[in-house]
Amino acid sequence: MAGTIVIKKPKRTLADQSYVVEITKGLGVTLKHFFKNFGQMVTGTRPDVTKFNYEDGVATLQYPEEKKPYPRRFRGVHRLTKRSNGEARCTACLMCSTACPAQCIFIKPGEYPEGHPSRGHERYAVEFVIDELRCIFCGFCVEACPVDAIRMDTGIHMTALDNRADFIFDKEKLMSFPSQDGDFETSNTRVEPGDKAHHGITREQGH
Amino acid sequence: MATFKLDGKEIAFEQGDTIIKAAWRQGVEIPHYCWHPGLSVAANCRMCLVELVPGANQRAMMLDVLVWDESKKDYVVSRKPKLQPSCQISAAEGMEVKSESSEHVALARKSVQEFLLLNHPVDCPICDQSGECKLQDYYMTEQATSKRMRDEPNHKPKGVSFGPTIVYDAERCIACTRCIRVCEEVIQDPMLDMRERGNLFEIITSPGRQVDGHYTMMLEWVCPVGALTTSHWRHKGRVWLLRGTQSVCPGCATGCAMFVDVDPRENTAFRNRPRENDQVNQFWMCDDGMLSYERVYKDRILSATIASERAKSADAIRHASALLSKHKGRLAVVLSAQRSTEENLIAATMAKALGADLYVTGKAAWDGDKILRNSDQNPNRAGALKAADAESLPGVDALLKKASSYDCLLVLGEDADVAPEAIKALAGKEIVVLATHWQGAWTAVANTVLPITVWAETDGTFVNAKGVAQVFKRALTPTGDVLVGWEALTKLAKGAGADTGFQRMVDLRAALQSRGLEALVAKKLDGVHPSTGAPVSTV
Amino acid sequence: METGATFWIASAVKVIAIVLGLVNLGALLLWVERRQSAMIQDRMGPNRANLQIGGLNIRAAGLLHSAADGIKMLWKEDFTPPGADKFLYHLAPVISLVPPLCLFAVIPFGPSVYWANRAQVFGSEAWNTTTGFIPLQIAMPDSGILVVFALASSGVLGAALAGSSSDNKFSLMGGLRAASQMVSYEVTMGFSVVGAFMVYQTVRLEQMVQWQVDHAWGIFTQPLAFLLFFTAAVAETKRVPFDAPEGESEIVAGYFTEYQPMKMGMFALGELVEVMTSSALLTTIFLGGWQFPFLKLDGFHLEMFGVAKPILMSHLTVVVISAITFALKVAILALLQMQIRWTLPRFRYDQIMKLGWRILLPLSLGNILVTGIVLLFING
Repeated sequence: MAGTIVIKKPKRTLADQSYVVEITKGLGVTLKHFFKNFGQMVTGTRPDVTKFNYEDGVATLQYPEEKKPYPRRFRGVHRLTKRSNGEARCTACLMCSTACPAQCIFIKPGEYPEGHPSRGHERYAVEFVIDELRCIFCGFCVEACPVDAIRMDTGIHMTALDNRADFIFDKEKLMSFPSQDGDFETSNTRVEPGDKAHHGITREQGH
Repeated sequence: MATFKLDGKEIAFEQGDTIIKAAWRQGVEIPHYCWHPGLSVAANCRMCLVELVPGANQRAMMLDVLVWDESKKDYVVSRKPKLQPSCQISAAEGMEVKSESSEHVALARKSVQEFLLLNHPVDCPICDQSGECKLQDYYMTEQATSKRMRDEPNHKPKGVSFGPTIVYDAERCIACTRCIRVCEEVIQDPMLDMRERGNLFEIITSPGRQVDGHYTMMLEWVCPVGALTTSHWRHKGRVWLLRGTQSVCPGCATGCAMFVDVDPRENTAFRNRPRENDQVNQFWMCDDGMLSYERVYKDRILSATIASERAKSADAIRHASALLSKHKGRLAVVLSAQRSTEENLIAATMAKALGADLYVTGKAAWDGDKILRNSDQNPNRAGALKAADAESLPGVDALLKKASSYDCLLVLGEDADVAPEAIKALAGKEIVVLATHWQGAWTAVANTVLPITVWAETDGTFVNAKGVAQVFKRALTPTGDVLVGWEALTKLAKGAGADTGFQRMVDLRAALQSRGLEALVAKKLDGVHPSTGAPVSTV
Repeated sequence: METGATFWIASAVKVIAIVLGLVNLGALLLWVERRQSAMIQDRMGPNRANLQIGGLNIRAAGLLHSAADGIKMLWKEDFTPPGADKFLYHLAPVISLVPPLCLFAVIPFGPSVYWANRAQVFGSEAWNTTTGFIPLQIAMPDSGILVVFALASSGVLGAALAGSSSDNKFSLMGGLRAASQMVSYEVTMGFSVVGAFMVYQTVRLEQMVQWQVDHAWGIFTQPLAFLLFFTAAVAETKRVPFDAPEGESEIVAGYFTEYQPMKMGMFALGELVEVMTSSALLTTIFLGGWQFPFLKLDGFHLEMFGVAKPILMSHLTVVVISAITFALKVAILALLQMQIRWTLPRFRYDQIMKLGWRILLPLSLGNILVTGIVLLFING
């Protein structure tokens, strides 16, 4: 018939049909893997899974003990960066909580009282709470922050905790995380009035 | 009506209107800072410059300028029209004005913007104006480039306290002098002035004065930038998280039109701001009115009481309606000039059905003034009378005289315009009070208290001293065991066997309209973003 | 043979050792299977069960997972489906675990120990095979391998009863599949060893081993029978590739769908014990039982390689080496079964039936025929 495609049944030899040869071949494959991996495990010559780009061998990562290094730009648990005098950089502008699609950031803004050394910054976060259970780690808060106060460069992977309340990170907790480099401040070059590196006049001395 | 052309569009104007005002009336905005429809013209910000097209046989006013010529690689002499401030030029019949359509205007606006932002600290993240700031708006629409000045901007005092309510930031100020003009023209109390010029200018309080009195928070509202902020809203939240709801000030018989700005996520009111209404308050409000949102939270009654015992609201309604039907004939109903016309209408209708005598009361008078504050502290005395369909109603003093003829009182609102001690004489009678706050004359003597909504938690209508009816809308969700006022009253009436027939708000509005009370609903809600409901500044 | 008290004590010791050994080996096999499959699939396998004694953490390479499983199974709720036939439902797991255990009774796991002459056992004195001995085999019935078949075929009852008494359609399907599959393959199993009977001229397992010690291993005299028996034995254990009765992707868990922890554990354990038993049977019938090549009762005889003098050993050493040899052979076969289980996918049910009736059965019959003809020629 014209236009009919005839698909031929593949020819099978007796060796194929008796299964024996094919099963032996299959056993060969599995045995090869078994002996190779078993040997590596017993002799301790298993390649380091955390370092190698893995192609062959046991690929299991013994997670809490062994960890793959995260890329530099991995979005980990948030931290609040500090000024050189140790207080949070955050000016409580609420940009992050506005940008947050999961609405997991709560900030209570306040004003530095009269006579406070940081009065020039005017506004600060009295409370800064992130619900890490709600957070989807999208990084929008970091993008939104105009003063580089919130960063996700801690390299800490948010893991399970025993208590839901433990996931509510307050300001002190967020300020306690260093960056991957162990830095509590920010590498951003922006300097604020009052910082030692600031070239110009401070707001207090302004007029 | 006479018209002129603005960007090819016919704009009608009244005699004496400036171009910007006529356009503003038509909903066409010409960018401006210092001009305000309720204030005199200063023409100092130069933002509203427009190009006037010369008429036939007229010569245009032109300026010689140097323009870069790419082909000659040199500047060549050219001419451009002299732009005019639209806030100062009176509109004339047949005039042709180019605003958006003129490249010279666009360049002028861009330059003015860049100039105004030259020494601006650009601290929008900590500025409470951001979100409703004209500098931000016009930056986006007119400038959209970074400034070319690379020097450290000029620094000036920040966070200067002008008084108990107003804080001044000189760095953000653009010297439009709106606040100074408000003090002189509206408040008629010259509290503010300006000193120095150029980039050293600063707004200062008049010698020996601070910004105080009844009209201070208005200054924040006329400031187009973040220079003036109120201590009440300062550093509390962000404008874009608020949603404005059309409302009416419950503070006095003037009934200023306003918005209640609410954070819907927290169901919390954060501020009031004036809403434009020519017949009532134009653009202004007093401090007490601006702070009236605080009434929603202070001292609220959140659960019902029966014989001073806490009870569920539903039980209290049953108990109260049983009392009303039991004491039929020896019953008095006290209307409230504090409550909405709709609630008074139900109460009055119920009173009629139960054969009860009607009284009206409210808060005692306070000191009024000639600007906005009415000496009657009650926003709806006229509405209460309208609801009762009476020219006048006796007050509480009359009720006290006839006290022996009543066994039971149904009181709307907790306020009475007599001394609280006088009301003690009524103790011993069955008194049912529908109240919002514990601090009230009636709550002290009531046997049964039903918690009801304040004005911001329900819909309603206030009729002010001039007879202008204004509708206000629900801004907040009632909390606790609080009942919606008019719903509680309809339930009470039904339980007492005096069904008023009112089931929905539209029924009430229809009944009121049939009495000649056309609810004046604001046609367009300027001041609220059409899709998000967030506050937007218009003037 | 030893009689009297020695017989009873020796029998008791053997029974306890075999039962405890098998059950524990079953659990061990569970661990082997998990870790082996992991190695095959480039994984690590379960290794995190942790026993904490003071500051000491014992993981034992995941061995504790089997213990943890046991403890978990014991503590989980034991639920009986309301519509189930209570008696049969509870009986089924017992029936599927006990026969494979009993089956081991007739399998010799070492040469006889000549216990009467202790000096001979522990020393290296001359052989005296006339005195009483203790066979390393629990029972030596005349019926021999027929006991095996009798017990093995009762194993099908467990699956069938479990399937029919659970009041669950998946269980019923699994039970039906299990019953038909096991009955089918038992036929092949039976026929495949007939050739071996003909060669060994006996049905007693210890005599089969002795024949193989004296002549040649069954795998060389009956290669096809070995293959057929091996296949049938794998099918009998209802493990991959013959696990259609459990078929998770089709019928949830087959006949033990409705079984809760410990009873399910009994089925699983029964399966693993069956693996051990079938390996032991194969070893006994086809792989020379406990015989270590060239190891005779008095030591190694390597005349074939030109070593004239036999390497003499004490009787005890020979017994121990033989018993270890048996264990090793069983272990290798068990591992092979595991390897097959992780190499092949599941047969379709019709393929299983087809393989059993249309291929294996004719082949086993043919094997009998050919064996008979060959024997006829050899024996004249």
